[in-house]
Amino acid sequence: MHPFADFIHEMQQLERSPLASQGSLILDAFTRHTRFDNGALYLRDARGSELRLAAKSQQCVAPEILHGDAQSALQPSPKVVVPLQSNREAVGVLALAREGEDVDDDDVAFVRAGAAFLSTLITNQRLLQETREGDFQLKYRLWELESLYDIGLSIASTLNVDELADEILFRMISLTNARRAALFLRDASTGGFTLYRSFGDIPADFLEQELSEGKPLTFENGTVVAVPIKGSNDAVIGVLAAAERETREGGIGAFEENELRLLALFANQVAIALENARLHRQALEKQAMERELELAATIQRDILPKAIPQMEGIEIAALSRPARQVGGDYHAFFIRDGVLTALVADVAGKSMPAALLVSALHAVIQLLFAEGREIGEIATELNRHIHRWSAENKFITMIMVSIDPEAETIQFVNAGHNPAYMITNGRIDTMKSHGLPIGILPQTRYLAQTRPFPAGSCAVLYSDGITEAEDVAGEEFENARLEALLQEHVDCNASLVRDQIADAVDAFVGEAPQKDDQTLVVVRRA
Amino acid sequence: MTEELKVAVDRRGTSGAILYTKGYINNVGGEEIASRAYELMEGDVRSLLLNLRETKIVNSIGISILIEIIEKMIDKGGRIGFCCLTPVIHKTFQIMGLANYASIFTDEDQAVKEMGLAS
Repeated sequence: MHPFADFIHEMQQLERSPLASQGSLILDAFTRHTRFDNGALYLRDARGSELRLAAKSQQCVAPEILHGDAQSALQPSPKVVVPLQSNREAVGVLALAREGEDVDDDDVAFVRAGAAFLSTLITNQRLLQETREGDFQLKYRLWELESLYDIGLSIASTLNVDELADEILFRMISLTNARRAALFLRDASTGGFTLYRSFGDIPADFLEQELSEGKPLTFENGTVVAVPIKGSNDAVIGVLAAAERETREGGIGAFEENELRLLALFANQVAIALENARLHRQALEKQAMERELELAATIQRDILPKAIPQMEGIEIAALSRPARQVGGDYHAFFIRDGVLTALVADVAGKSMPAALLVSALHAVIQLLFAEGREIGEIATELNRHIHRWSAENKFITMIMVSIDPEAETIQFVNAGHNPAYMITNGRIDTMKSHGLPIGILPQTRYLAQTRPFPAGSCAVLYSDGITEAEDVAGEEFENARLEALLQEHVDCNASLVRDQIADAVDAFVGEAPQKDDQTLVVVRRA
Repeated sequence: MTEELKVAVDRRGTSGAILYTKGYINNVGGEEIASRAYELMEGDVRSLLLNLRETKIVNSIGISILIEIIEKMIDKGGRIGFCCLTPVIHKTFQIMGLANYASIFTDEDQAVKEMGLAS
């Protein structure tokens, strides 16, 4: 084979691996196929502009980086210096020498032709490398976008924060080439950050530093980065941290701008996942609470009288409007030995705690009436029971009246309740409180008071939800309006009195929301 | 979870092997796999299966190294397969082009059968 063809064949064999790493083999091929016996090969780094020594013969003294003229930089001085030049750029320099004797033109021509072939090979290899690198980068960007898209889908399809946290952490590590990463969440009780998920160890001691400002922070020459996770109110609810970004050269480097941007995007995804989970948790809690309230409301509806009792010579009308699903107002009627007893009570508080106390009140009252006790004694026993079995801040205001048509009397016990009204012979009088509310002190005794209650008399019992009903401006209905209404309707039947009061309260309140339970009981002797 | 990658080798006949990886395929982990894979290739292994059942994370440098291993095996006229990939890694391999030059199997049994790896 012709020596040059032989040389080309050798070069083609080298082509399969990066030529830059095969400097000594290239130099060896030139010295074997020509009469040159030493020299040096410089190649320009694909990323840099310096000509770096790729290979040299043993007897050649050559600097690591070639600045300026190779002729004067190398020892022995080269006989031929050939730039390795592609149509785009200079890719290197080949310098060859021969000790002792001269070389002829054929050798120089061989070297020039070989160098031209080598230049093309190196350029082609670099172009191929650049194309592959570009292709890899494009795919990497696609991977990045697909990952963010997939996380979005995961967030939409699951509310399991544990699973999402793992997925986000793993994807973040993959895409930033980090060796370690961690997700810290703020502990609502201590205000500090606690480790939620991690891959490798990341110290938490840096987390309190300026993260409240909500900006990404870098530590240890940029090799550790912490990105705040902001909640819906812009407060920092967690931190996503990554450390030790790997470089392609095999070392550890600082995180770059695009990686910080990517980390910030992942932090946003975590924020969305946490917010979704929080809202879902809240919705579940609300549903559970609504179910409880609905159940309690059902129980309370069963407690309140389903129908007005019928008693000869007595008209009874009642109204009950709970402000929420479960209220604190209670009313009841008892008929025993020709005597009607009506009571209206208001339990302190609202919702479930109030409903539970109303249930207790209902049970005890039923038992005490069944025992045949008179109303003063019933109130005294009820007070003892409620005080013993209820929480300290629980109490009940209560007005209880017993109307005896035969004796033409009304007995009442008012335990801290609003004054009830009694209309007798066209005159309005009040049945004011004469004792503490039920459940305040254990030894309180209640004595019933007795008044005449001739035919045509009317008793009006109500809860403060009637007199304290507010209009849109916050003004209360007040007792004066109630008394004026009663004055206008002294001779009306019980149902009409009830309806007039209810309509007047509604008209007064207008569009304002009902803030408290409203209970009204009207009892009239025919 | 462990950061360091561990590799176990199961030789299958004279020309086959399975590499089991556990941990993160990053630069360090990728080099560990490459070192074992090249050792096997030097020993005339031409059907190499990588079981990634215990690997949850792979980064771009790890992928570059896996591509190099695939290319070297193709140069030698052999074949590389992957099995037991997590859905995330499976998708990553598809996007990054590994699936174009290596076979991807759902499980090891299927891979062993299709790659003709002796048991």
